[in-house]
Amino acid sequence: MKPDTVVEFDVALIERARRGDAKAFERLYRDHVGRVHGLCLRMTRNPDLAADCCQDAFIKAWKALPRFEARASFSTWLHRIAVNTVLEKRRSPSKLEMAVEDPGEYEEPVMSFDTPVEEEELEAAIESLPQGARDALVLCGLYGYEHSEAASMLGIAVGTCKAQLHRARGLLKERLERGVR
Amino acid sequence: MNRRVTRIDELARDIPPPRDLWPAISAAIAAGEPVATARPRRAAWLPAVGLAAGVALVAIGVLIGRNITPQTTPNVATNTQPAQNPEVIPAALRDAEYRKQRDQLLVEVQTRLQAMPEAEREKVAASLKTLQRSIQEIEAALGRDPANALLQELLVSSCQEEMRALTAVRDTGRQEI
Repeated sequence: MKPDTVVEFDVALIERARRGDAKAFERLYRDHVGRVHGLCLRMTRNPDLAADCCQDAFIKAWKALPRFEARASFSTWLHRIAVNTVLEKRRSPSKLEMAVEDPGEYEEPVMSFDTPVEEEELEAAIESLPQGARDALVLCGLYGYEHSEAASMLGIAVGTCKAQLHRARGLLKERLERGVR
Repeated sequence: MNRRVTRIDELARDIPPPRDLWPAISAAIAAGEPVATARPRRAAWLPAVGLAAGVALVAIGVLIGRNITPQTTPNVATNTQPAQNPEVIPAALRDAEYRKQRDQLLVEVQTRLQAMPEAEREKVAASLKTLQRSIQEIEAALGRDPANALLQELLVSSCQEEMRALTAVRDTGRQEI
C-alpha cells in the first residue's frame, strides 16, 4: 500500500521546478511540508532538530530534482530524503542490523485498539519507544510504507524491519495498558 | 480537546513546522548551483558494478563450497577501508558497531585466506576486491550526487553483500575445524 493512494497532481509543478522554477518548488514545499515535518518530528522527537531535518530535506530535494524519476511518487521520494537526513543527523545512528530475529509471519502494519485511546497518550507512547522500533512503527504503521520500502529507507533488512515493528507493537500495547506517563 | 483514536494511522500525518522554513530554503537554493535541466541519465557504470558484484558473489559461493586444504602461504591483503566519505555515506554504514564487526570479519577472513591453497585464495581475494571496488565506485558516485536515493540503496545493499560474503568465507573455515 502506498502512503498516498490519491493521484498526485504535482507532475506539472515538478516539471517546472526541475527547470529551475523556485516558485513551483515553493508550491511543492507548501503542499508537502506538513507530512515531511511530521515524519521528521516523530523520528527525532525533537522539534528543533525536526525543523532542521525538514529544511535540509527540501534543500536536498531541490538539488536532486533533475534526477527524480517522474513515474515515482514524489512524496515517497521526499520522505526517503527526509528519513536519510534524520539518520544522518542522529548522534547515535541506527545500527546496520544484520542478524535480528524475523518474526516470520507477515504482521499487519496498522495497529488498532479495542478501546479508543487518547491521541496525546498514543503520541507519548510512540515517543517513548526505542529508536529502531519507533522508526519502523512510524514508517509502516503511521505512514503506510511496506516493510520493504521502510527497510530500504532505514538501511536495514526487511526481516529487521518486521522484527522492529513487532517489538514496537508489543511495547506500545504494554505502555498504553500501564499508562505512559 | 484530546481526540480519541482506535487505529494508529488515525493520528495526524501532517504536522506543520513551528515556523515557515521556506525563506531559509529559498535562500539556500538561491545561493546554490542552479538546477540542471537535462534529463537524468542512469550512470553508465551502474550495470557494470551490479554485474561485477554478482560475479564476485558467485565466485565466492563456488569457491567456499569446495574442499579447501589448509597450507602456509604468504599474506593476501584485503581492503580494510569501509565506505569512508562521511558526507555521502548513509548513517547505517557509519555506525561504530558495523565498522567493528566488519574489521573483526576482515581479520578472520585474512586468517582464513592464508590457510587456503594459493589458487583458491587468489580467486576469493579477487572476488572480495571486486565487491570492495564496487562499493568504492558507488561511494565516489555518491560524492558527486549525494542525494541520489538509488545510489544510497545500492551502497547499503552492496555493503550488506560484502558482509555476507566475508561471513561465508570465515564460516567455511570454522566448519572445517
